[in-house]
Order: sequence, then C-alpha cells, then structure tokens
Amino acid sequence: MNADFHYYATYCAAILAGYSHEEAQDVSYSDRMVDHCTLTLLSKLKAPAAAATTQMQLELMDSRTGKIGLQNITRIWASFHFLPGNLHAMPKKRCSKGYLQKYRLICKPNGELLAPTVDLAKGKSLQAVGVAMHVLSDTWAHQNFAGTPSLVINNTNNYFYELFENEDGVSEKKINFRHSVSAPDDLDNSVYISSIYSNSENSIMNLGHGRAGHLPDYSFIRYKYLPAWGEYEELIKNNPSDYYCAFTQMVYAMKYLRGETETFEVGRYDSESVEPYREEIMRIITKRQPDSSEDWKALGVKLSGKEPEPFDLERYQSEYTSADKDKKDDTFIGRFILAALSQKSMVTNRIYRSGNKLAGYSIEYREKGFKGMKDFRRLIQSSGGGDKA
Amino acid sequence: MSKFQHIKSFVTGVFLLLLAAFIALAPQSTFDYVYLIISLMMLAYGLRLLIYYFRMARHMVGGKIILYQSIIVLDAAMFTLTLATASDYIVLAYLLAIYAFAGAIDILRAFEAKKNDSPVWKKKIVIGFLEMGLAIAMIVLGLVFRNTDFLVYGFAISLASSGILRIYDAFRKTAIVYIQ
Repeated sequence: MNADFHYYATYCAAILAGYSHEEAQDVSYSDRMVDHCTLTLLSKLKAPAAAATTQMQLELMDSRTGKIGLQNITRIWASFHFLPGNLHAMPKKRCSKGYLQKYRLICKPNGELLAPTVDLAKGKSLQAVGVAMHVLSDTWAHQNFAGTPSLVINNTNNYFYELFENEDGVSEKKINFRHSVSAPDDLDNSVYISSIYSNSENSIMNLGHGRAGHLPDYSFIRYKYLPAWGEYEELIKNNPSDYYCAFTQMVYAMKYLRGETETFEVGRYDSESVEPYREEIMRIITKRQPDSSEDWKALGVKLSGKEPEPFDLERYQSEYTSADKDKKDDTFIGRFILAALSQKSMVTNRIYRSGNKLAGYSIEYREKGFKGMKDFRRLIQSSGGGDKA
Repeated sequence: MSKFQHIKSFVTGVFLLLLAAFIALAPQSTFDYVYLIISLMMLAYGLRLLIYYFRMARHMVGGKIILYQSIIVLDAAMFTLTLATASDYIVLAYLLAIYAFAGAIDILRAFEAKKNDSPVWKKKIVIGFLEMGLAIAMIVLGLVFRNTDFLVYGFAISLASSGILRIYDAFRKTAIVYIQ
C-alpha cells in the first residue's frame, strides 16, 4: 500500500473507530513509520538494529545473501509487510521441503497470524496499534506474494493485463514493465516499473511484489496475471474491493483494540460504521492517481473536524535521542520500537514453531531464558521482567 | 543458526582462510589452481541450477527456463575445463567484477547513509573506495604490467574476507527471543 493509505486512510479509520484526533494522528504516524524504520535510520538514532521494519533498496543490495542475511530479510518483510496466511498450507502437487517452506510464507488476508497480530496491540501503546494496522492492511494489498526472496513464489511473467470496467463489461489492456529505478509509472499507458528478472532463487529482485512493480500498492487498479506458484491458473486482483475490505477491517480491529468489542475475529469487518462514507471512500479508492493523500486528508477533516498534520519523519527523533537511556522506551519512537520488536518476535516464533527456518531461530524466553539477540532484552524490561517459568 | 550450522560456518571460514594463505604464499605455483577453482565454480553453478530445477523451479510458471539455463551453463563449464591454457584475463575479469560491484554498492550506501545522517557512512565509504582501489590496481597491474601475482593476491583477499565473515557469523547470536 502507498503512503496515502498508510497515513491518511488509517487516520480516517481510527476516527471512525472512535479515537480522538490526537490519538488517530499517533496511530496513523506509527502505521506510516513502518515504511521508514530502516537500519540506516535506527543507526542514526543509536536505536536497536533489530527493530528495523523495512529496508531501503540499497540496504537490500548491501545485504549478504547467506542464510543469516536471508533470515533477516524474511523477518522484516514477513513480519510487517507480507504476513503469512497459512503456515501449514499444502500446494496441490507434491514438492520438496525447500519449496514448501517458501510456499507457506505466501501472504493472505484473514490468515492465521492476523488475530495474534491484532491481539499483540491490545492494551498496548497507540504505536503498537499503528504497527498492527500497517500489517493488517498490507495483507490485503500484498496478498499472493511472500515476504522472502523467492523466484518460484514471487516471479511473474509477461501475462499481465489491466482490467477496465466499462459499459460493455470489462475490457483489458496489456501491462508492460520497465526496469528503470528512477522513472515513474506511466498510468495512462499501463507502463509500470518492476524489478528485473533474476534466475537466482534468493535474489532480492525476487522479494515480495517487486516483480509486479507497484501494482499491488495502487488502490484503483484491477488486473489479472499468472502467479509463479499458481499452476498456470489466472488470478484476478481487484484492488478497490480489497482496499475497501482493508479499511473496514481496520475500523473493526481498532474498535476491538479500544475495548468496544470483546473479541477480534478474522473475516469480520465494520461495514456498518463505514457505510455512510462508502461512496466517498470508493471514489477515492478508484480514482486513477498515484497518490490519494489529498482526498483521504479531506475525508479526515470531514470526519474529525481537524486537519491531520502532514507526516514528518523527523518529528519525534530529537525526543528519542535526547531522552535518558532509561527513559527512551517512554518516548514516541521508543514505544514504536517496542511494538516493532514485539511483532517481529511473535511472527518469527510462529514461523519457527511451524517447522520453517526461513525467518531464523526463535528462543522462547519462558522455557529457555534469554539466549538470543540482545536487542530483544528491551521486551523483557518493558513487560516487567517477562514471564519466565 | 543451529549448533551444526555454527560449526559448519566456523569450519568453512577456517578452510577459506587456510586456502587464502596457501594461495597468497605461493602465487606463481597456485595460479593454475585459481583458474581451476573458477572453472569448478562455474560447473558447480550449473549443477546447482539443475538441482534447483528439480527441487523447486519445476513447480513455477515458466520454470523450464531454469532447466535450459542449467544445461547451457554445464556445457560451457565443461568446455572451459577442457581448455589447455589458462587465461589470466578470465581471472582478472572475475575479480574486477567482484570488487567493482561491491565497491560501487558500498559507496552508494555511504551516500545514502550520509543523506540520512547515519554515522555508518564513513565506514562504508572507506570500504567502498578500498574495493574500487583494488579493482583499479588490478587493471593497472594485470593489464599494463602483466603481473599475475597480484591477481592471485586479489583472489586470496576475497577468499580470506569471506572466511572471516563466516567465522564472525559462527559466533553471532542470531536467534529471536519470544516473550509471552
């Protein structure tokens, strides 16, 4: 999803869920922050490196493609951007263990890790709510791709058509991909930028939806293609419908996090609260434009009566860097870091427990004490010493 | 990493360091081995592609291309191995490509880090220029002075650096802690 949805749309959903203007701003800021919290930023802030929630292109290129490097990439992308849908999924045909492990990381909405992700934010900070909303909404946009480099799962070929609804039904137009990093997408001519083909299974070119370019991140687009794992079965992706589901599910999830509902169930949406604004939201979602920030912002103003501040990456940095060592976790960025570590720890643990080592090893503190990366000590401190048997 | 992977990483690292030392200590007599290692690496790559096809790529839409690629690479590797005379320039091109690419990435990363006010940019830029310097030195010494010893030293450095990294990995704590 693009920055517009991860900031202004989340703000609108938070207001509809009952948060105040200030709270909704913190939630949406944290949601957007997930796309900015890189190793480079954390090193600038002298913050724990394990809290990285994304990687810049050059960080990826600089990553070592050995086992540890790939596990680090998978932890980041599977935890925050491509939440695995079914860790015990089975492909139609028999396959090797290596293929199976990658196949099981394919992202799907309403998957088995969604409820644990939302529950993780229950009773926690607004930053944790923002992180959870980022993960939730990306399950809709990034479905059918995996948050690990994989040619056999994430590759796409030339069979890619954009679908247009018109009076005669649906027409289609061939999508062409270019591989220039600096050139923008040409929406008028259906020419999009994507990562270059690499026959190396673990090349970063084959991470997530890179081979399909920004298509999954545009709310307006409908298209059909052949996913690499799909046994030559055509897949139709209807982003406007998916993005609307993401929005209504965010409202439902945030109402749960605020305590308005007792439980969070997957596959449930708060269409009722959103219904009065459905037409306006669908107009924004289906508008053919690369950035819908202004439209979402206008809706936000209408909903809260106040204008959400534009996203400023620097806003909370000095608060964190100037805080005393023992007070850092009480700052905005400190709380975001705790939420990020917590989410990464939970997702890695679930993947590891399913018998899949692609995201690395997970040690349960309760059973074995503290034996892993020292950055995660913060989680023990924040949970008041942990729950060690 | 599991205990076995830690040990494997350590043993491989030590082996690479020993191989680097062996090559660097007798550059004249080991040059042919450098050439042989590179040819064998190509053969291994072809085999890896073939195994990759049967293990994974055969499930992929359009996966047959991996099978064709593996056959072409294997064919080329075997042809290269049958060549009687070793070409200094193949070794030179291989090493140049490694250092120039790594150097360019490190320098670009340094600029990016500087733009983001990250202090790691200084380390990155030093390493980047060192790698680029090695690539330039190889062009000068290899092509102009026709000194193959330097190529062997360059190869030894690349083996030694991957050996050190593997040993470092063997002692790194990489597990994620899960707290309920």
